[in-house]
Amino acid sequence: MTTQQQLQRRRPYRPPGQLGGRTPLNGTFKRRATIVGFLAPALIVLAAFVGWPMISALQLSFTDASGFGTPRFVGFDNYVRIFTNPNIVRAMGNTALYAVLFTPVAIIVALVLALMLNSDRLPFRGFFRSSLFLPFIVSLAVAAFAWSYLLDPQIGLLNYWLQTAGIRIGNVLQDPVLAMPTVVLVAVWKSFGFYMVIFLAGLQDIPKSLYEAAQLDGANGWKRFVHVTFPMLSNTMTFVVIVALIAALQAFDQIYVLTGGGPYRSTETIVMQIYQSGFKDLDLGFASALSYVLLIVTLLLSLVQFLFFGRRGEDTTS
Amino acid sequence: MKKLASVIAAAAVLAVGLSGCSGSSGSQSSTGKVALTFWHGYTEADGGVLDQIVKDFNASQDKITITTQTKTWAVIDDTLLPALSSKNGPDLVAMTSDRLPVYAKKHALTSLDEFYSQASSNTASLKPEAVAMETVDGKKYGVPSGFVPLSVIYNKTMFAKAGISTFPTTWDQWVADAKKLTIDANRDGTPEQYGLALPDHATVGNGIWPSLFEGNGGSITNDAGTEATINSQANVDTLTYWAKAIRNDKISPTGLDGIAADKLFTAGKTAMEVGGPWMAGVATASKIDYGIAAIPAGPKSQAASAIGISLAITAQADSNKQKAAEQFLAYFNDKATSTKWSLGSGWPPLRTDVTVADVSSNATVAKLTAISPNTRALLPGVVNSTDVLTAIDTATQKTVAGGDPKQLLDQAQTNITSALAK
Amino acid sequence: MTALTQPRTIPATNTRSKRTRDPVRWLYFAAFLVVTVALMLPVIIIVLTAFKPASEVNAFPPSLFPHQWTFANFKAIFSALPFGRLIANSFGFAGGVTLFALMFDSLAAYALARLDFRGSKILLIVIIASLMIPFQATLIPIYKIVSDLGWVNTFAGLIAPRAADAFGIFFLRQFFISLPRDLDNAARIDGASEWRIFRSIILPNAVPALMTLGIFTFVNNWNDLLWPLVFTTDQKMGTITSGLTLLTGPGGIIPQGIMMAGALIAILPLAIMFLLVQRRFIESVASTGLK
Repeated sequence: MTTQQQLQRRRPYRPPGQLGGRTPLNGTFKRRATIVGFLAPALIVLAAFVGWPMISALQLSFTDASGFGTPRFVGFDNYVRIFTNPNIVRAMGNTALYAVLFTPVAIIVALVLALMLNSDRLPFRGFFRSSLFLPFIVSLAVAAFAWSYLLDPQIGLLNYWLQTAGIRIGNVLQDPVLAMPTVVLVAVWKSFGFYMVIFLAGLQDIPKSLYEAAQLDGANGWKRFVHVTFPMLSNTMTFVVIVALIAALQAFDQIYVLTGGGPYRSTETIVMQIYQSGFKDLDLGFASALSYVLLIVTLLLSLVQFLFFGRRGEDTTS
Repeated sequence: MKKLASVIAAAAVLAVGLSGCSGSSGSQSSTGKVALTFWHGYTEADGGVLDQIVKDFNASQDKITITTQTKTWAVIDDTLLPALSSKNGPDLVAMTSDRLPVYAKKHALTSLDEFYSQASSNTASLKPEAVAMETVDGKKYGVPSGFVPLSVIYNKTMFAKAGISTFPTTWDQWVADAKKLTIDANRDGTPEQYGLALPDHATVGNGIWPSLFEGNGGSITNDAGTEATINSQANVDTLTYWAKAIRNDKISPTGLDGIAADKLFTAGKTAMEVGGPWMAGVATASKIDYGIAAIPAGPKSQAASAIGISLAITAQADSNKQKAAEQFLAYFNDKATSTKWSLGSGWPPLRTDVTVADVSSNATVAKLTAISPNTRALLPGVVNSTDVLTAIDTATQKTVAGGDPKQLLDQAQTNITSALAK
Repeated sequence: MTALTQPRTIPATNTRSKRTRDPVRWLYFAAFLVVTVALMLPVIIIVLTAFKPASEVNAFPPSLFPHQWTFANFKAIFSALPFGRLIANSFGFAGGVTLFALMFDSLAAYALARLDFRGSKILLIVIIASLMIPFQATLIPIYKIVSDLGWVNTFAGLIAPRAADAFGIFFLRQFFISLPRDLDNAARIDGASEWRIFRSIILPNAVPALMTLGIFTFVNNWNDLLWPLVFTTDQKMGTITSGLTLLTGPGGIIPQGIMMAGALIAILPLAIMFLLVQRRFIESVASTGLK
C-alpha cells in the first residue's frame, strides 16, 4: 500500500444511505437527546464558571467597579483609557513581541525534541521523555530561583563558569534589549515539555505503515517529514499553535517572577497590566475592559491560524 | 451509561464528603460572642508574638473572639479584594502601608477618625510619623503595627580587614569607606568585592532612593502628596553624586534590585547594604558577623524611609464588629502590649513613651530604636504609589546606567504628576 | 470491529543485538544526553540546593554541588508547614479536577468530533474563545459565584469551576477527529448506540490522549497558585503550592534551601506519575493495534 492510498483511507468515510448523511442524524428526538447528553455536563460547568464570569466581566468593563460599593456606568471610558495610556500601548507592543518570539521557538523546540524522542534509534526513551517533561512540572517560583541562580550577573553559576573562560554575559535580565529574549528563553524552557508531549501523542497516532510505505518509495528523512509526518500532524499542529498563541498573549507569571516587567517596563505585558489594574489599583472596570481587548485580538489571530492550518487539518475530518 | 453515571455519582459523593470535612471556619456567633477574623502577614517569630497578643486579648474579656490567619503580605494583597468583595474577607487586616491608601480610597476600609478621637483608643502616644501612614484624604484608616527605618547592615569581618573601626556618619565618609572596601584585585574593572550594594530599582521597601533624596533636602512629592517635586536641583545633585560613586568608583554593581543586594550581602560579595530589620536573621543564617547602623547623614539631614505595616478594619465589618475590632486596636496600642510587641517582633516601639531603656532586653530593637528618630513614612496618602515608584525606579536605574539625571528626573516629574492626577 | 482489534504488526527490521551495536545509535544517544543535561541544569540546581545548608545557598563562588550535604531543609519544611495536610489537599484538588475534567471533556469532545450537528463548529469556536480571556479577569466573578453557592473553603468550590475546561475539550476533539472514521462507522452500521461507540471504541483508542490530558490537568492544578490562594482563605484548605508561599519571609526573602526541599517533595508525585504514565501510554497505543 502506498502512502497516497493510506492517506486516502484516512479521509472521512461517509457510509451510503441513512446512517452517514447529516439530515437523518439531526432529525430524530433521540438523536438530539444524545447530543445534548454528551455536551451537557461540560457545557453546564463552562456556562457557570466561564460563560457567566465572562459576561460579568463584560458588564464591569463599562463601569468604574472596584469590588466595593456600587459600580457606576461609565460607557466606553475604560476602553478610551486603554488606548490613551502610553504604558498600556507599550505593554501591547511587548506582548506582541513576546508572542512573535515565543510561539515559533517553543513549537519548533518541542517538535524537534518530540521527533527525536519518537525515533527508534534513541535508547532510554522513557528516561529522556520524563526528564524533558520536568521543567513543565516544577512550579514557577522554584524555576525562577533556579534561573536567577544561573543568570545572576555577580554570583550566578553561568557567569562564574563563563568567567573562567573569559566571557561575561552581564546582567541580561536588567538589559532593556536583552531582557525580553531572556524571559522568552526561560518561558520556552518552562513550557516546551508540554508541547512536546502533545506532539508525542500526535506522533503516536501516525501509522507506522505510512513511514514504511514512504521508505519503500525511497523517501529520505526530510521527505518523510514533509510528506508524512507534517500533514499527519496537522490536527495536533492546529491545536498547538492556537494554544501556544493564547498562552503567549496571556504571558504573565513567568515574566513577573523574573523581571517584574522591568527594566523600564520593557517586559511588561497586557496581562501584567490587567493584574496591576485589577488587583493593585482595584480598578476592575478597567481591568475587564483590557481583558476584552485582549480577547478580541486573540480571537482574531486564532481565527487566522485556524483558517490557515485548519484548511489542511480538516481534510482528515468531516 | 450506567457505569458513567455511577462514576459521576461516586465522584459527587466524594466531593461533597470532602467538602464536609473542611467546614467549621469560625462563626461562633451563636454563643453571643462577636467573632472576628484577622489576617496578618507576620510569618516569622513576630507572628507567634502577635498570635499570643490576640490570645491574651481573647482571654482578657468574654465578648469578643478573634481568629488569626497568617498569610504573606503579597498573598494578603492578592486575596483581599476577591475575599472582601464577596464578604468572605477578614474584619481586621494587617497590610503593608503602601497598600493602605488604595484600599481606603476604594472604600474597602472603615475610617478610624472617631476611634482616634477617643482617649480610650490609646492612640495619643503613637508616633506621629507612623500615624502619617494611615492618613488618606485627611482621614485615618489604620493603626500602625510596624514602623521601622531602613538601616545599613555591614560585614564586620570585611570592615576589620579594611581597617575601618567606626561606621561612617556622613555620605562622604560612607563613599570613602565603600571605596576602601571595594576590591578589584585582578584589575579587570569588575570588583570581586563591592563596598556597598546599592540597588538602583525595586529597592528594599522602595525606600532607599527616597531616603537619599531626603538626606540632601529633596523630596518626591509635597507633604500633602498632591504635587510632584522630584525634579528639584537637590535631587539632581543626589542622583549625580551616587551615580558617580557607582559608575566611576564602582562601589556597587549596577542593575541591582533589593533582593539581589540581599543575596550579594549573604554571599559575602559586598561589605554593606541598606536593608530591613529582617536582614539580621538572614545574615546570621549565612554565618556573617554583621553590624547594624543608621543610614549616614546627607548634606542636609539624616533620614531613613520607613517600612510600615498598618492594621485596618475592613468595610465588611458591621458596626458591632467594628466596635469589637476597635477594642482590640485599643488593646494593641496600650503601652504594655506595645512594648511586648516591639520586643517580640524585633521592631522598634510605635509609641513615643517607650524608650530605648524599655526595650534594652532586645539588642536589635534597642539599636533600631536608637536610630529611628528620623524615620519618614514613604509617600503617605498617595493612592497610586505603584506608578510613582516605577517612575522613580526608571530615573534611578537609567541614571546609574549612564543617563542624564536632570533629564530623567524631568521625565519622572511628568510621570509622577500624571500618576498623582489619576 | 474484529478487523480493527487485529494487530497490524510491523515486521521487525532490526534484531535487538544488531540495534545495540549500532554506533550511530549511541552517538545519537550521547548527543541527546548532552542536550538533555543542559536543559535539565535548572532542575539539577533545584534538587541540589535542597541539600545545601543555608549559608551555602547564595554563597560565592557558586557551586552546583553542596560542599556539605544536609537534610536540615527537609526537616525544616515539615516543621514549618503542615505538609501532610497540604499534600492531601493538593491530591484532592488536582485529582478531583482531573477526574471530572476527563469525563466531561471527553463527552463533549466526542459530540464535537463525531456527532455532526448544526452549529458544532461555532460551538467549538465559542469554547476555544473562552480560553482567550485571562483568568485574572474572571477570577473575581468566579469567586463570587462559588461564594454564593456557599462553597468557599470547600473542595466542591475548589473543584467545580475546573470540572470541565475548554482546553481539554479542544485537545480531545482534535485527537478524536484524527481517529479513522471507519472505526465507529462500522459499529454504527451494526446499530451500536453513540454511547456504546464512545465507550467501547473511541475511549479505548483515546487512552494515550486521555492520559496526556490527565497529566496536564493534574500538573496544572497541582502547580496552580492564584486560584487556591484566592479561594482558600482558610489555611487548612491550602494546597502544597499555595502553602509554599508561606515560606516567604519579610522583605520577600525566601529561605531558598527549605523552599527547594519543599518543591522537591511537591513535584515528586508528579514526576513519578509521569514516569508511570508515559510508559503506559506508549504501550497502550501498541496494544490497541490501531497503529
